[in-house]
Amino acid sequence: MKLSGWIFLISSWLFIIAVMFFSYLRVLRKK
Amino acid sequence: MTTHPHTKPREQWGTRIGLIMAMAANAVGLGNFLRFPVQCANNGGGAFMIPYFIAFVLLGIPLLWIEWGIGRFGGKYGHGTTPGMFHYLWKHPWAKYVGAIGLAVPLLLIIYYNYIVSWTLAYSVFSFTGKYSGVANYQGMADFLAAFQGKVSNAYFPTIATAFLFFVITHFCMMGILARGVSKGIELLAKIAMPLICIFGIILVVRVLFLGTPDPRLPLNNVANGFGFIWNPDFSILKQSKVWLAATGQIFFTLSVGFGAIQVYASYLKEKDDVVLSGLATASTNEFCEVILGGSIAIPVVVAFSGLAQTKAIAAGGAFDLGFFAMPMIFQKMAWGPFFGTIWFFLLFLAGLTSSVAITQPLMAFFQEEFKWTRKKTAWIVGVMTFFFSLPVIFFLKHGFLNELDFWVGTVGIVIFAIIEVVLFVWVFGSHNAWKEILSGADLKLPHFIMPIMKYVTLVYLVVLFLFWMFQDGWGVLMMKGVPKEDYPYIWFARFLLVAVGALMVFLVHIAWQKKHVIQQRVPE
Repeated sequence: MKLSGWIFLISSWLFIIAVMFFSYLRVLRKK
Repeated sequence: MTTHPHTKPREQWGTRIGLIMAMAANAVGLGNFLRFPVQCANNGGGAFMIPYFIAFVLLGIPLLWIEWGIGRFGGKYGHGTTPGMFHYLWKHPWAKYVGAIGLAVPLLLIIYYNYIVSWTLAYSVFSFTGKYSGVANYQGMADFLAAFQGKVSNAYFPTIATAFLFFVITHFCMMGILARGVSKGIELLAKIAMPLICIFGIILVVRVLFLGTPDPRLPLNNVANGFGFIWNPDFSILKQSKVWLAATGQIFFTLSVGFGAIQVYASYLKEKDDVVLSGLATASTNEFCEVILGGSIAIPVVVAFSGLAQTKAIAAGGAFDLGFFAMPMIFQKMAWGPFFGTIWFFLLFLAGLTSSVAITQPLMAFFQEEFKWTRKKTAWIVGVMTFFFSLPVIFFLKHGFLNELDFWVGTVGIVIFAIIEVVLFVWVFGSHNAWKEILSGADLKLPHFIMPIMKYVTLVYLVVLFLFWMFQDGWGVLMMKGVPKEDYPYIWFARFLLVAVGALMVFLVHIAWQKKHVIQQRVPE
């Protein structure tokens, strides 16, 4: 796997995890 | 308000997390684990994620919020389905009939989708019992599936009886859950199924990550190259419009928009419940299952065991080739293969079953609310109706019946319906009212530029997607290009069913509103 592949994989995963973390944290706070 | 004064209060979600799980379970389906990796691998690898995330932000999320907003708005007036919702959005005598599309589409979808879901349950059992062990090549797996589906008769399956039995079991599971209601049925299923999907998915991803190079004599066949096949970016492909449309189509399919399921789920919210943050949580959960889990299982494992050339051929063959031909072959070569095969197909079954339940709930809600039937009676009638409508799909599969329905309903119908709901909510109901409706009770402040995106960009995205699909495939499908002459009657029968179901739903909406009118005249305000 090329470095550019790793960059796309990691940045996509981080973006999704960040949105998920942010939204669930807010949901749990507002509960 | 047209609700009957003596009507029982509408059902509601038990908890907010339960609602988010149910919405996420609706979105997470077979496409997350089979369609996404194939689309990604065929359309530029990592570079595919650029149009994919752009479509996610400009089409997916806005459309989700629109559907959540329409649903909660309809719920205020006691309507869980689009005939009632459109009636209040548009205030035109035709609105309720346009809303009938939101009943016809899920009915036509469920009669073939649930049959496909039943295949995953069957393959989970076959993996456990070793039914397909010894099938040595892809052609063998293709023959195995064809016999299972009743397309041919061979030593694996002399008749279609096994497939039919699994369909009946799946159908009973689905209707049993729906008969238990929103909180005790759908929500409970989602609370069990979503964690299981994630746990099974993580187990499979961990297994894939530790596969290394299964055959040391073929050092190029390894997991790293598998991830490379799906993620190495090919930027040159971004110049092709088909890649952008493939990414847009994937976002549209994966979020399960355009068939009334999100609206009916959102209608069980209270008037001041948030839709913005919950919608975002749902979308991110779906993306976790799709990109992180779905992108890390099927394609990397096939490359590790079969090599790049064969994986390319499988990916070009589509999601079904990957799921039902390639994966069972791999599980035979893998240590603990029956175990991993069982959980892989059971994961697909859970993802599919939760989506089947969501697709059928609009029909349940319609009969319960507009005809005042009890839940039990509705479950029986909807169960029998969908069962009988499924029979031609099951028995005429080899004649292209399912493919014909899938194109007109699962591709064209849902995009048309999404265009209609955006136009009605943002343009007819008005962008100011729509914005107020979405933000009511919101736990997350949205910037104002989101509304122009909904009003113009999301709509343009949908119209372009629709026109592209029609130009690319529509004419060929309409003119039955490539269809053998002996299959023509079956294709015409599928088209007749499409029109008949549409007409039936318009008729039922008409009857429901007439009944409502009579009740209103009898009951003084």
